[in-house]
Amino acid sequence: MTSGAGRTGGDLAAIVPLAALALDALALGAIGSLGMLIGPIVAAVGVGLSAGLAGRSRPTVRRYRLAPVLLALGVLAFAAPPGPAPELLAGAGAVALLAWIAADPERPAGGIGRGALGWGLPGLAVGLAWAGTYLLPPSAAPVGVAGGLVAAAVIALAALIRRPDFAEPSPTL
Amino acid sequence: MTGPDAAARPLRWRTRSFVLLGAGLVAAAAGVLARQPALLFLGLPLLVAPLAAVLGGPPRDPRGTLEWRVDGNGPQVDVLGRIELAPPTRPADVEIRFDRPPGLTERAPPRVDRESTAISFSLAWRTGEPVIAPVPSPRLVWCDPLGLVEREVALEAPALAIERYPPELMRLGTVRLERTILLPGETRSHRIGSSGEFYGIRDATPNEPPRRINWPASARAGHLLANEFELDRTGDVLILLDARPSPLGRAIDERLLSLATAAAYGVAEAFLREKARVGLGVFGEFLDIVPLAGGRTQRLRLRGALLAARLTTSPGPPERCAIAVRRQFPPGVTTIVFTPLGDESSDHLLTHLRWRGFPTLVVSPSPLPLQEAARILSDEEELLVARLARLVRRDRLSRVWEHAPVVDWEEYWSLGGLVDLLRRPGRWGRRV
Repeated sequence: MTSGAGRTGGDLAAIVPLAALALDALALGAIGSLGMLIGPIVAAVGVGLSAGLAGRSRPTVRRYRLAPVLLALGVLAFAAPPGPAPELLAGAGAVALLAWIAADPERPAGGIGRGALGWGLPGLAVGLAWAGTYLLPPSAAPVGVAGGLVAAAVIALAALIRRPDFAEPSPTL
Repeated sequence: MTGPDAAARPLRWRTRSFVLLGAGLVAAAAGVLARQPALLFLGLPLLVAPLAAVLGGPPRDPRGTLEWRVDGNGPQVDVLGRIELAPPTRPADVEIRFDRPPGLTERAPPRVDRESTAISFSLAWRTGEPVIAPVPSPRLVWCDPLGLVEREVALEAPALAIERYPPELMRLGTVRLERTILLPGETRSHRIGSSGEFYGIRDATPNEPPRRINWPASARAGHLLANEFELDRTGDVLILLDARPSPLGRAIDERLLSLATAAAYGVAEAFLREKARVGLGVFGEFLDIVPLAGGRTQRLRLRGALLAARLTTSPGPPERCAIAVRRQFPPGVTTIVFTPLGDESSDHLLTHLRWRGFPTLVVSPSPLPLQEAARILSDEEELLVARLARLVRRDRLSRVWEHAPVVDWEEYWSLGGLVDLLRRPGRWGRRV
């Protein structure tokens, strides 16, 4: 027998990232090569199916809730034309998906706030990559790569400081 | 107190991590192969998220302390607990899982309340029959808010057991037992008569010595009354559990042993409360014993031994049990044997015990209610089978009565028959 806290009023909190995910997917579908009709339909079906599965009470059904939206986002990103807007929408869609996972109503409320690192850091990575691609001039691309490496080093350092057990010597016999 | 070793609690990936990593890798690979940058941007957050979850993990081994107790009475079992989590672990990040002891059912879903540093919970269970069983400690797992990584929380929890036995056993302690060994430091007087402080007057037994009879009180009451002394009230009792398999089948045998264990604990507790000395023997292939003793420590010893009692797969011969009992316990000690009387071997066990000087009383948990519960035939056939089983059972009991008095324990929440038998002034005891 397993029990968590049950539904703790987190259903409302899950609506915001789900709405963001839906809008993002619809926009990505609308500007893609699938057309103004098929693209949004694919987005709506993917997000709707995932939301529907997430609302089911059977855990065996709920565990597949990520699959439709991931598939829909993949199809829409594949069909998206190259350009800053589709790429930003694709990255933002993945970040919105992570925020929706954090707002799982089955878990204690406040998941989005507590899980800020879990979706904020990927968001930062997307932002850096997108800015490095489109905001820096082509001649400064190495600067963007260096900036990314510095950011990764800072994050790794923060992890080492935050987790002292990483630095602890292993016990000897 | 229990608590797993710190080294055995690594950070573990959950299935969702592999799903995201897999999706991210597929998207990235497809993006490179199809020269589609949007797919790369889609895959990047999915690849970074599990690493971010690891960074957000608890900086030290998460730890907690559990305080809990069992409430409720009779078939209702309520387990109430509170877990204090050591900072910086937040209760909202901790998932709690409960395991139920076998034989118990859930009355209501578990209630879990998360506070700032603690988790309170209440479990509502029901037991269909008497039981003594340890309550499994809840399992706590720290999990990041995205459900990508987890780590077990080390929980310090005192052992807790559910103890439910027929309530009539509470009255059992007033039964007068034979004393077979001296109290520590006691020197028996050679003078005829009892020693110790006067306790009260009770009904005389048929074989009561004349010096024990309170003649003035008897004359007033119109029947024989005897004086009772403090020292006489304590005595010795041996509880013997038959943990051998029978033709009834392993599933039924295990349930009957569980019932017998619960009742044996009730009997032991009732006598220990009255300062009597209680010993225990569990006979499977060999005899495992707890020697005669009294007090709280003995209660814990007996509980531990009863919780450890298991049905054996290779039963020992009944004479071996009687010989071992004779070696470990003084003859004459009142012996309560819990046996389902599933075959003739049980009869032989009682005969051998009697031959070796142990006045024996048998409590036999009846398998009939358990057999009736498993219905696989038509109604008519079931009735016939039940009738035949009852006749066989009655025949077996009547044969055992030749060796020792038997309590047929069919109504599992009541052991009034045993209490009445032991408290009967005419004495149940068969002197050997």
